[in-house]
Amino acid sequence: MVRQGKAAWLAHDLTHRGVTAWLLTGLLVAFYLLLYSTEVFARAARAIGLDSRWTLYGILYSLAILAGGVYVLRKYRHNRYQVVRTAVVMFVQVVFAFLVPEILKFFHQPEYYFSYFWPLKLDDFVPGTIFRLPLAYVLYSFIGSLLLVPLLGTLVGKRWYCSWVCGCGGLANTAGDPLRHLTSKSSAAWKFEKVSIHVVLAICLLLTALLFLAWGWGARAPELARFTHAFETAYAFLVVAMLSGVVGAGLYPVGGTRIWCRNFCPMAALLGLVQKAGRFRIAVKRNMCISCGLCSKYCEMGIDVRAYAQANSSFTRAACVGCGLCAEVCPRGVLRLENARSRPAPEPALVRISTV
Amino acid sequence: MRYLILGNGVAGTTAALTLRAADLEAEITMVSAESDYFFSRTALMYAFMDRMSLRDLEPYERRVFAKQKIRLVRDTVVDLDATRRALSLASGQTLAYDRLLLAVGSLGARPDWPGLESVREGVSHFVTLADLDRCEHLARATREAVVVGGGLIGVELVECLVFHRKKVTFLVRSPWYWPGALAREESEIVSSHIRRHGVDLHGSEEVAGVQSDPGGRIRVVRTKSGAEFPCQMLGIAIGVVPAVAWLQQVKTPPRMGRGILVSPAFETSLENVWAAGDCAEFQHDGRPTVEQLWYSAKRQGELAARAMLGNPIHYAPPIFFNSAKFFEIEYTSAGAVGEPPAGARTFFFPFPGREASARIVEQAGAVVGLNMLGSRWDHALFERWIAERRGLSYVVEHLAEAQFDVEFGRVDLAPLRSYYREWSGRG
Repeated sequence: MVRQGKAAWLAHDLTHRGVTAWLLTGLLVAFYLLLYSTEVFARAARAIGLDSRWTLYGILYSLAILAGGVYVLRKYRHNRYQVVRTAVVMFVQVVFAFLVPEILKFFHQPEYYFSYFWPLKLDDFVPGTIFRLPLAYVLYSFIGSLLLVPLLGTLVGKRWYCSWVCGCGGLANTAGDPLRHLTSKSSAAWKFEKVSIHVVLAICLLLTALLFLAWGWGARAPELARFTHAFETAYAFLVVAMLSGVVGAGLYPVGGTRIWCRNFCPMAALLGLVQKAGRFRIAVKRNMCISCGLCSKYCEMGIDVRAYAQANSSFTRAACVGCGLCAEVCPRGVLRLENARSRPAPEPALVRISTV
Repeated sequence: MRYLILGNGVAGTTAALTLRAADLEAEITMVSAESDYFFSRTALMYAFMDRMSLRDLEPYERRVFAKQKIRLVRDTVVDLDATRRALSLASGQTLAYDRLLLAVGSLGARPDWPGLESVREGVSHFVTLADLDRCEHLARATREAVVVGGGLIGVELVECLVFHRKKVTFLVRSPWYWPGALAREESEIVSSHIRRHGVDLHGSEEVAGVQSDPGGRIRVVRTKSGAEFPCQMLGIAIGVVPAVAWLQQVKTPPRMGRGILVSPAFETSLENVWAAGDCAEFQHDGRPTVEQLWYSAKRQGELAARAMLGNPIHYAPPIFFNSAKFFEIEYTSAGAVGEPPAGARTFFFPFPGREASARIVEQAGAVVGLNMLGSRWDHALFERWIAERRGLSYVVEHLAEAQFDVEFGRVDLAPLRSYYREWSGRG
């Protein structure tokens, strides 16, 4: 039952696919379309003395994460995991995804985002761009993408990136928090996700390979260079602008907060595979689940957590970004995020069944 | 084989799925008067508080029942004829069975307070979907509500009404809240937490009667101490009773006590009829016992199904465990703690600066129960320690292994351990 009063109605309507949620969706989609395909924001940025539309966007994005972060810190203040994680994600956004690149630009250094890695960010990995940067950047990018990302993924799960560092996850888990329950939990959505995210990963790997090849062959293969350039442009438009921007963030109020992360992000796909083989899991307390469904309802990745909890099975799902909200909302403390594979399993159920 | 299950709650649904897993050919039918699909009764409060839709309360996707070929019938049973092995439904239809499971659950207990019989509007339990409907309807026109009953359903209803910004009076008959599960110290932590949410909580208050206006709307609740509480809504949460009254009217009633009497294999007095869950009454330690928890219903549903499949089952309840949440305070319990057995000694530690405590009860050198408030614990380890008859010192020493708090949020056990050394040194 919705709370009585106009403010409560609005809050409910905005978070339950009401008229106002659709209006907000329209505004967000329009915002991203204008941002990517017109000069509106470029002019607006110049008008207030900023060098580009991306600086303006960075300011807006960081402000959304900061304001949403304060809201989330207050809401989950009793939960230390949420407090620490939210503080880190706010810090990373403001410092590494905004201030550091701006400062670098100010000192006429190459603009570099230390919180982004391949395969999420191709520019800072592929030879055409990365080899123009000083050696330290090249090492950071290669070691970070090829070593740090999978290693940490194995040890603590993909959460270290998707819920602690990444800006997409940062927005979802701060300003997006009131909309997190909108993600579809149906098995059909799960089937779609398993195909879509790995298709994007495959395309991304192919593009990466082409960029290396085209760079290696250089002028000897002008056809390949042309094709690769067209491929890269299409990828930037379809995957980056459309799927991560317009669809991923624009549809928040009707589709939930992790549309991009769940269905399309190549980084999430890769880390998901690493996670399946790693130590991270959600431990389920035996026989304590009351099947209330809050865990599933508030899972932003659309995982039907309740299905595992009520079956007493601890689990690792590739999609899980380890935000920890299932454990937070569980009214019986049944769920726990953990990194150990070797937690001793308690004895089997103590129901005394004799086979007389 | 035709299996018929009466009731689509957790006992009935678990039984149906267990039957299907073992017998791919059987005809399985579930009948419910309450809902089209199995839902989580324990989550009613989250629907009332707008955190979930009714559909969200369903633990299985609807397609599961079609996929498992479990036929769902929405109807009210009006007669049971065990000699003809048939149920008659209100729609006039008859359902024949080879094996029948009664998993009809329980309903809110109705008190006999003077004046209650003439109240036509404003009173509700909080157990069924109809109760939820009624509560939501009543809440719209309510400023002041009274909730009576010192158990878990009571505090859940109170929390819902507080969420909807009602002025709530919470009347508890015992001197402190939930004496069946909490000792006075824990109850004080919980009570002051409940009060901090603006609830007017009264212990040792027993209802003497209720008054309604000429239109039959609830107006005032009077207590034996002489206090009067005006209200537009009265929530009654004084416990639940097996929903078996209707069985007295049928052609072949099973033998009943408080619930339907069953053997350790969940057989009723009727041939080919079993009963499980809240409605089943069995002998345990020489006492008639009815288990009315989500956990026990799920367990009994599974075991009854196995009995119906022909497996030898001899049910005895395992070591008790339960959990709850009082507004924000979580509670985990295992073993015997509500009323500590004679000769028991109790170690109790309130964690400083937190609404959290630990209680460990030991009898004859073995820990028999633990009651934990305000932090998370793996009760499975508690059960194991109790089953292994571990001593108090062992349990205190190994307590950290059972901690289930979130990462970075573990309760610090050092003060508990040092207090324990001091406490056990005192003898």
